This record gives sequence, C-alpha cells and structure tokens, in this order.
Amino acid sequence: MTEVLLECRDLVCGYDKPILEDVNLTIGHGEIVALLGGSGCGKSTLLRTITGLLPPLSGQVVLFGQSLYDLPQEGRNELLRRTGTAFQQDALFGSMSIGDNIALPLHELTKLPEPVIREMVRMKLGLVGLAGMEERAPTSLSGGQRKRAALARATILDPHLVFCDEPSAGLDPIVAASIDETLLQFRSALGISLVIVTHELESIRTIADRGVMFGQGKICASGTIDELVASTDHHVYDFFHRVAGTTQATTGQANGVGLHAR
Amino acid sequence: MSSATTTSIERNGRSAVVRLQGDLIIPTARAFYLQLQSLARRRDVRTVVIDFSRAGRVDSSGVAAVSLVGRMLARHGKTLDLTELGGHHRAAFDMLPRTIEEPAAAIPPTVLEQVGDGVLGTWNGARALTAMIADTLRQGGLVLTRRKRLPAGSVGSQIVEMGFDAVFIVGLLSFLLGITMGFQGVTQLQQFGAGVFVADMISLSMVRELGPLITAIILTGRTGAAIAAELGTMKVRSEIDALATMGINPNRFLILPRLLAITIAGPALTLLSMFIGMLGGMLVASLALDMPVAAYWQRVAERLTIGDFAHGLLKSLVFAWIIAAAGSHLGMRANGDPSSVGQATTRTVVVSIFCIILVDAVFATVVTIARHS
Repeated sequence: MTEVLLECRDLVCGYDKPILEDVNLTIGHGEIVALLGGSGCGKSTLLRTITGLLPPLSGQVVLFGQSLYDLPQEGRNELLRRTGTAFQQDALFGSMSIGDNIALPLHELTKLPEPVIREMVRMKLGLVGLAGMEERAPTSLSGGQRKRAALARATILDPHLVFCDEPSAGLDPIVAASIDETLLQFRSALGISLVIVTHELESIRTIADRGVMFGQGKICASGTIDELVASTDHHVYDFFHRVAGTTQATTGQANGVGLHAR
Repeated sequence: MSSATTTSIERNGRSAVVRLQGDLIIPTARAFYLQLQSLARRRDVRTVVIDFSRAGRVDSSGVAAVSLVGRMLARHGKTLDLTELGGHHRAAFDMLPRTIEEPAAAIPPTVLEQVGDGVLGTWNGARALTAMIADTLRQGGLVLTRRKRLPAGSVGSQIVEMGFDAVFIVGLLSFLLGITMGFQGVTQLQQFGAGVFVADMISLSMVRELGPLITAIILTGRTGAAIAAELGTMKVRSEIDALATMGINPNRFLILPRLLAITIAGPALTLLSMFIGMLGGMLVASLALDMPVAAYWQRVAERLTIGDFAHGLLKSLVFAWIIAAAGSHLGMRANGDPSSVGQATTRTVVVSIFCIILVDAVFATVVTIARHS
C-alpha cells in the first residue's frame, strides 16, 4: 500500500445545508484522481473543503495523516503549504508581474537565494509553455496563459499534492494536451499527486488513474477510468456518453471515447 | 532518505567531486547552492562533478541550483558533470527548458517619454470624459423625448441610496456646524454689543457657503466613492462589456440614473443642511444670548433673499454634477485589476473635493466682482 496523502472520512460538505454527503475518498502517493460530475454537483465545494477554505459540516479531512480542521490555524497552514491549488479563475495578483506572482510563495516561505528563485520561476514558466514572460502583467495575458501561470504558481513549492480546478477548461486542444503532459511530468519528476476537477474527457483518459463521480449529493461511482466508462449506472453512462458526444462533434474524430463506451 | 543534504567534496587534480547525500529540496538547496557557488569561483577548479549515487529526492530548487552553477561554470569555460543519476533524478532534470530564454528586459522610460505619456494620458482622459458627458446628455435627451427608457426604478433607488440614507449624517454635521459657528459668532460679536447679528452671520454663511460645501463633501465620500467603486468593479468583471455587447448603452443604463438621482439628492440635502445649520445657530443664540426664537427667525427672514438660496442651490447642483462626473468617469476607466478600482475610488474623492473647492472659489470671486462693478 502506498503512502496515503489525503483521506476524506464520512465527509459532509456544503454551506448552510449539505451539498455532498458520505464522501469517503483516499488519494495515495503519485496518484492522479479526477473528480467528475455535472455542473452544480458539489465538486468545487468538496475542493474548497479539502483545501481548507470551507470547514466541513461533519466528518474529517485527513491530510498527510493529520486531521486538517482539528489543527490550529498555524498547523493547518503548515499542512496546506505542502499542497498547491490552481483555481478555476486564475487568481493571479493583478498588481504583480507574472514572475513575481509565481515567486511569491518562494519569497514568503523559503530562504532561497534570489538567483535560485529566479531560476526556479524560469523553469516552471518553461514547463507550462510561458518561457520569457516573467515581466508581463497578468492582465496582458490571455485566459489560457493566465491559467498556465496559475498552475506554475501552484506547483512552485514542489508540493506533494496539487489540486486543480478545471486546469484545461477553455484552452485549445493542443495547449490542453501540453498541460496534461506537464502534469504527468510533474508526477514523474517530483512525485506530485494530483486531484483534478475536470470535464475534459480527453484529459481524463490521458492522465487520470482513477475517477470519482459525483451525483445526487454523494459519490455515485468510483474506480479506474475504464471501469467508469464501462459502467452501466445511468449517471456515469450519461456523463461519458454526453461528453464524448460533444467531443466527437467538435473535433470530428471518429475515435472518440464515446464510441467505445458501450 | 534523510532530509538534510550532506555534501563531501573531494579534490582530484583540477576537478572537484561533490558527493551528494540526502535530499536536495527547498530547505537544503540554499546551503548547497552557496557551497557550489564558492567552489565554482575557485581558479584551480576546472571541472566540477556532482555524484548523485547517494542522493535522495531532488526537487526543482535543487535542479535550479545545479543549472545555475552549470551556467556559471560554462561562462568561465569550465565544465559541470552530473554522474550516477537515478531515474527520478533524470526526470527532475528533464524539467529544465531546452533553450535558455532570458526574460525580455524592460527598458525604463526616459523623462521625455514619461512626460509625453502623462500628456497623452491627460488628453485621452479629457476626451473620454467629454465623450461620456456628451453621450450621457444625448441619452438624457432621448429619455426625455420618450424614445428610450431608463432602467425601471433605478432613479428612485439611487435617490434613496444617495439622498435619503444620507439625511442623518448631513443633518447631524450641519447641526454641529451651526452650533460651532454660533459660539464663534456670539463670542466675537458680543464684544461689540452686536450679538444679535449672529442670526445674520449664520444664516448667510450656511445658505451661501457652508450648506452646499458640507453636503458636497459628504456626498463625495459617500456617493462619489460608491459610484467609482461600483462602476470600477463592474468594469473589472466585464459587466460593462456585457452591457455593450447586448446593445445596451452603459451611459444610459448606469450613469444617467445616477446623474439624475444626484441632481435631485444634492440640492435637496443642501436645503436640509441650510435649515438644520440655522437651527443649530438658533439653539446657541437662544441659550447664550437669551434671544427669543421668533426674533432669531425674524432676523433670518429679513436678511436672506431668494437670491441667496438660488446662489447656494445652484452651487450645490454644480457640485453634484462634479461628483457624478468624477465618479463615473474614473470608475469607467478602471482597467482590469483590483488595485485600479481602489485607485479610481481614491482619485474620485481627491479630484471631486479639489474641483468643488476650486469652483466654490470661482463662484465667490465672480459674484463679488459682479456685485461691486
């Protein structure tokens, strides 16, 4: 059994009333897990709970063996520093250049010498395909570029666990594929585990080891992607069928996963 | 795997072999980098060899440190060799970009460019302001001629927000101002036995000067800042672009209702401020001078003319338009990032108060000259 990085125990999350109930979930070292489900199914709420932004209504989030919400604020921050989060909206600081945005965690949390920090920023920008853009302002970048810069910032501390909310949504297929490659490279090079919220079926097939599907306020299916695709549960079937159908229609590829789903 | 790196350096002729032991990660990379940097600077070292056979995890800080030292050595014609790399070490070093693209250095603008930038910025700002005012007035004309409509209920809700909600603060401050002036007036005027003139003094200054001014300052802080912040945030969130793409004129939809509301709320609050200020003066006069209430108001009525009220209310109208124009214009010019909204709000308050006091001085000068010529 590999080391468990994240475990949700009987988690109930939501704002005033529960949105998701009975969430039991483990993420092991080096795993890439996709959280799937239609809009409004509670994926992003769960992500907020896991990343320490929204206390659960009941249950536990166990991060690196410690219960996140039972720790005092400082201990919680200590744990969260070993994770990285790339938000759906890029959440880059508009008053700083891209380079300063990405270097911020290094400047604030480490004692690395400035040249090393600059070299790390250069490396990460190269990895996400934004080489040489250190001095640009976030507002001067396109949406896709900002998303990649946000990914670079989320991974700058080489965290053990990275949460990505829709990392490739709204990007062209080539860039989306390169982000997927980058994520895989992060895993092979640094042993980073990933929790990804996504709708992109191509991306799920390429990178995810496992999928967890949400529907009707709970986990309705989980397993390897092949198991999910082969599932006869109508939620799961609808999801893959519908998404695959759109993919096929837009790209015109006859080998869309949807054709093999049944 | 230990978390600390211990490095041992062996000298072998002109080459130095660095044996890594433990993880080369963010907490340990600093010491490693400084050690390698000083080694690379030594003249008698031509080749540095890093032996990874006993190294643990290497993260991007370690890769960055090694790559920096490699480049430093290369610049001096020396070489860096990495030996005994494990699979995960290789994967980590694969993260290095193949080509070195130095970030394009930003060339700082010269003084001339800065001045030109400032002039162009002011010119563009003035043009945008004129265009906005012209379009808003045109839209106002269209609304008056019933060819376009204002958003339902917008003017009413704005009047409540700008006017009704400010009644308490305007009233309180005007009352305190009236009391303060009353005390000042009574002490000074009594020395000449002219205490009864305190009614003249307070009524004239509240109606012609202080009523419009204190109201305008409160409106700037409450309403001008709110307009700038609201429109700026809408701009940042692309809501104004959304209106434009729907074919809805943002000036008619957002600015015109605010302009109309402040046109009503500004003078109305000013009128309130004038009377409450005089009320404060009355309190002081009746307490300090034992002046009967009826006598106070009689003096006020004898002293004030319709012209004084017209003067004060006309000024308050101009002040209200200054506030609406500054708030709308600067709010609309926010440009994408959150700090620009803050700047727009600050500038609205500063610019409004500056213009209000400037216009006030111009009014006073023109009226005085006109009266004496």
